[in-house]
Order: sequence, then structure tokens, then C-alpha cells
Amino acid sequence: MLGFLTARQAGLDDPLRLRRAESTRRVLNLELNHDRDVDRIHNNGINTIDIEVIEGRYMLSGGADGVIVVYDLENNSRKPQYTCKAVCTVGRSSQYVHRFSVETVQWYPHDTGMFVSSSFDKTMKVWDTETLKPAEVFQFEGNVYCHHMSPIARKHSLIAVGTKDQKVQLCDLKSGSRIQVLQGHRGEVLSVRWSPRYEHILATASTDSRVLVWDVRRASGSLFSLDQHNGDKSKASSEAVNTAHNGRVNGLCFTVDGLYLLTTGTDDRMRLWNSANGKNTLVNYGKVSNESRKGLKITVSRSCSPEFVFVPCGSSVAVYTLHTGELVTMLRGHYNNVDCCQFHPDYQELYSGGKDCNILAWVPVVRPPDVEEEGTAAKGGSQATVNPAFEDAWSSDED
Amino acid sequence: MNRKRALISDTFKVNKRRVGNEKQFGAVNIGEAGPLDVKATLQDLMTLFPRKLFNDALPQIVLKHQLYSIHNDRTQVDRQLSDLREQGELLMFQLGFDAEAFGLVFAADYKAKVLAGEEGRGTRGTVDKFLEKVLPSCKDLSFNKEKMLKEFLFTDSEITQLVKSGVLTVRDAGSWWLSIPNSGRFTKYLIQGRKAVLGMVKKSKYNEVLKAELEERQTNSQVKFQIKYHIHDIIGAELVECIPTTSGTVLRCVDY
Repeated sequence: MLGFLTARQAGLDDPLRLRRAESTRRVLNLELNHDRDVDRIHNNGINTIDIEVIEGRYMLSGGADGVIVVYDLENNSRKPQYTCKAVCTVGRSSQYVHRFSVETVQWYPHDTGMFVSSSFDKTMKVWDTETLKPAEVFQFEGNVYCHHMSPIARKHSLIAVGTKDQKVQLCDLKSGSRIQVLQGHRGEVLSVRWSPRYEHILATASTDSRVLVWDVRRASGSLFSLDQHNGDKSKASSEAVNTAHNGRVNGLCFTVDGLYLLTTGTDDRMRLWNSANGKNTLVNYGKVSNESRKGLKITVSRSCSPEFVFVPCGSSVAVYTLHTGELVTMLRGHYNNVDCCQFHPDYQELYSGGKDCNILAWVPVVRPPDVEEEGTAAKGGSQATVNPAFEDAWSSDED
Repeated sequence: MNRKRALISDTFKVNKRRVGNEKQFGAVNIGEAGPLDVKATLQDLMTLFPRKLFNDALPQIVLKHQLYSIHNDRTQVDRQLSDLREQGELLMFQLGFDAEAFGLVFAADYKAKVLAGEEGRGTRGTVDKFLEKVLPSCKDLSFNKEKMLKEFLFTDSEITQLVKSGVLTVRDAGSWWLSIPNSGRFTKYLIQGRKAVLGMVKKSKYNEVLKAELEERQTNSQVKFQIKYHIHDIIGAELVECIPTTSGTVLRCVDY
């Protein structure tokens, strides 16, 4: 570590190298911390959490009872002991609250004045954070499983919505209408994700075991479908040809640079795809147990080397190395199934929420101070610590 | 999770050169992971296959996931396997009882056993032709009708002969899997033995067994293969969890 600091100081190393090394060390040290807590507001399972991208200060969570809570993650109290307080809540008493469980919440990518939530009551609501009233309500015919707004979009303000219907709907925030429909899936759409690299590329995952990648500017269907065997038709039985998984695909996540796409399916597998040509990189993660009937929210670390992917696996969160498929560790702490997790890129913290109504914060363990430093601080002198065998324990001080 | 030693990423590890550590004295146990040499591991695993049980009619078969129980890095294992297949040394077969269970056989072994099995039979000529023409060029697991007819110029009756001899098995109308003749008994014994060994683990107190102890146990008549073969199978297929303890590896049943 000191080597890195010296090299950075002398200009021998790229500044990014020190940052990467330290981020990776922090991610590998994630642990439940006694000092950090998140306010417990939900009385039912937590389905989704989202941390805003601008400051990384506010966190949204959506629960199975339709309640939406906004938390303040920043510690201004000068004490290590800190509970992330709920700033405001859309509770059961609000007249605009969702009637059934909230499946996905997302902050507006450009500021925290607005957030969007979608729920099993077949609506998607665009909320004004200040007044906590919905500015816009979109109605759908089936349960809404997920929605996503592109984090980098400048030319459009589309929200992609995946519902029980086979069609992926695109809703426009500016006009408040449903502009486009993407046809191509043969089953419910469980997860949608915009690419963080190109603002027109969208990936959708469905119960028909396929993942389709779309360019929304194109009128005709999808660009390509992800094939787990990379076109090697001989490996699968004939029904499983051209599918991404051998079961429902319920988790989708792009890596931060948008070059790779991760998918998880109910066949207990996770696959890494090259997002440019749709090829399976054939990284073998082993059995990633997955029993979720709805979408699963997985997340990827940022500016670490190697990158890590966090997957909720039963009642713990599994951490895998992205490109080699090695299981690094399992983060155990929840009492019941974990449904969602979100990585805070600035502090390398992980927040996970699950059916036990808790949001747990996994914080990197701070390096313990060296014992020597404590000794000199107590003595107040500048001597190095003395080996106890040489310590003068018999002569008196008056000497 | 409480860890005695924190996880350290590779950038912080100092690579000390250790001199003279390459030689290992004595027999290397299959259970230990050496530097990743898939071919050597395959040869070791093949010795576990019971040849006498099938009267030497079957080539030695190893399942792909048995390799995962020995080497930790699955992606590397997969890559080396596909290299060996490209070179034509190894053949992979879809065994049929599980979408992910693949059997591996050395190509030379396979050819020898198939031809030995075809001695004196009318289909021998076609099988010979198949082995000479198709196997070296096409690395697929299955073949469909157009490929057989157009690329390799087999006639319909020849295809029927190949199916009869066991080299091809029907997959669906117009396509066939590459298969090992007379491997039906192998699959049956494998599934039977797998169930029996899993049952042994399940019946133990707390559903867990020390791996070393399981290897020493008496097997009942259901288990026809060596128990080590089955142990590698259930670990690799992730039907049991492998937990390192101070007394060795413990296999715990995974109930979902």
C-alpha cells in the first residue's frame, strides 16, 4: 500500500491505479458494521432499492406493501455510529400510494426532484419528491414487473416498461404518452435495462428464456437475441435453441462501461455476454441459485480491478469476480430471502434489501490502527516502542 | 461474515519466487489441485472408470463436471476442454439425462472400442466411414439431416445403419446426437449410484459427511462404480456443498 502511495506521489504510477487498488481492497473487505444502520420503516419485504447517481446521498426503497421511502445516507453527525434516517415516506396513509407491491423504483437520472415507481397494481407513477404527489400516472393492462430510464439519455426521455404482457412499452416523460411498443418476446417481460454506453440500446429479459437487445430507433424488431450456445446448435435440445438460459431470465445488469451484460436465470446460471455482438463469453460461475418468480436485482461494482458482481442468492449475497467466475465470498446477514442489492460507487458500500424487511449496509472494514501508534500516542514521546524484555521495570524514577 | 484473515486482492500480494517447489514427492492425490492441466486430470479420472463392469465394451467415460470438483477455476477448465476438442483428442457427448451433463472420452479410445464392437457386423463399413470422415472434421455434438446428406454424403439407409450400431441416437425428427454405443447401462448405473451416494450423505446426522470417511464406506449393491467416481460427480454437479474444515473436507447436502 505504501508502495502505491509513493509511486503516485512520485508520478511513477497513473493516479487511477492507486484508486483502483484501494477500491478493490475495500470491496473485498465488505462486512456488516455495528455502526451503520438503515432506518426500519417497511413492514413487509423490500423489493427494490436505488441510490441516486448525482450525489450518492439519497436512497429510495420500494416495498411489498406499496410503501416508498427516501433515506439520507450521508453521515453528518461526526460520530461513527449512524442510522440512515428516512427523509420522507409515501406510506399507506397517502392517498396516492400504490395499492399493491412496488416492484421497481428509480430516481430520475439527472436530479433528485423526481422518481418513478412501478407496481403490481398495473400502474407506473412519476412522483415529485418535494410534494410526494404523482405528477403522472401510466396505466397498463398487466402487472408491471420492471421499468428503467436511461442514465445517459440526452436525446430522449423514454422509460422502458416490462409487464405481464409480451410487449415492451416505451413511455415518454416529456409528453406523458406511451410512444412505442417493442414486439418480440413470447412471455412476460421480467427485466429491462438501458445500456450505459449508448442511449438507444435496450436489453429485455423474459420468461420465454430469451434476452433481446433492441435499438429503439429501429422500427423492425430486435437487433439480436442472446444465445447461450453461441450459435452452436448442436449443444442444446431443439427447443432450447437460441435461448439465453434454460429457464426464466429474471436478472439483467450491464457493467459500468456498457461493454458486457450479465444475465441470471432460474436454471441457476449466470452468464456474461459481450454486449456488442451478443456472444456468450462462457465464463462459468457455477450454480447461482435463483428461485425468484419475479425480477432479481443484481449489481456490479465500479472502478475496481477485477470487477465484482453482487447477486442475491437465497438469504445471502454472493460476490463473484466478473471475468473469471470465481466466488469471492458470501455476505450473510439477512434472515430471509434477499431481493435486491445496490452498490454505492463512491464509498464502495453495498446496500441489500430482502423479505425480512431490513436494508443492510455492508461497509468496508477500516484498517485497524497499528498497536505501536497507540503506544506512542499515550506516552506522548517520539521514541519507538521498546520491546517489553528491555523495558526498565526495576529502576525508580528519581534516578 | 467473520474472517480470520481478510481477503486480499492480487495487486497487494508480493510474488516471492520459490525455488525448487515444482517437484512433488510421492503420488499426487487426485483431490489436490496442481497447476491447471486438464488432460492429466482427465487421465487420472479415467482410471476410476470400471472397465470390467461392461466387459471392456465401453471406452472410459468421465463427466465434464467431475473436473470442476478438482479444479477451482471453471472457466479455465472449460477453455482447456474446448482446446482439446479442437485438436481432436477429446470427444464430448450429450448424455441425455441432464441438459448439462456431458461425457468426455478420448478420441483414440472411442474409435478403438467402437470398431471392436463392430467386428463381424454388417454395419461395420458405414461406421468406419463415419469415424473417418465426420469425427475429425466436425466437432459438434449433434448432426441434422441436411448436414449428413449434403456435407458428408451419407444416404438415408446409411444413417439408419449408424443409428442401429449406436453411434447416433435420435434427438428429434431429422437430427441425431453423437453417442457411445451400449452406453445405456452406463447411464443407468450412474443415476442409480448417484442417488445411492446422495442418500448416504442425506441419512447421516446433520446431513453432512467427511469426504475421507465417505470414501472409506462400504457401498451397497446399488452402487456399481467406485465411490470416488460418484463423489467427484456429486461435488462437480453441485448436489452437495464442499466445506473446508480442520478435519478435512465435509460434504453437506444442499436442500433447496
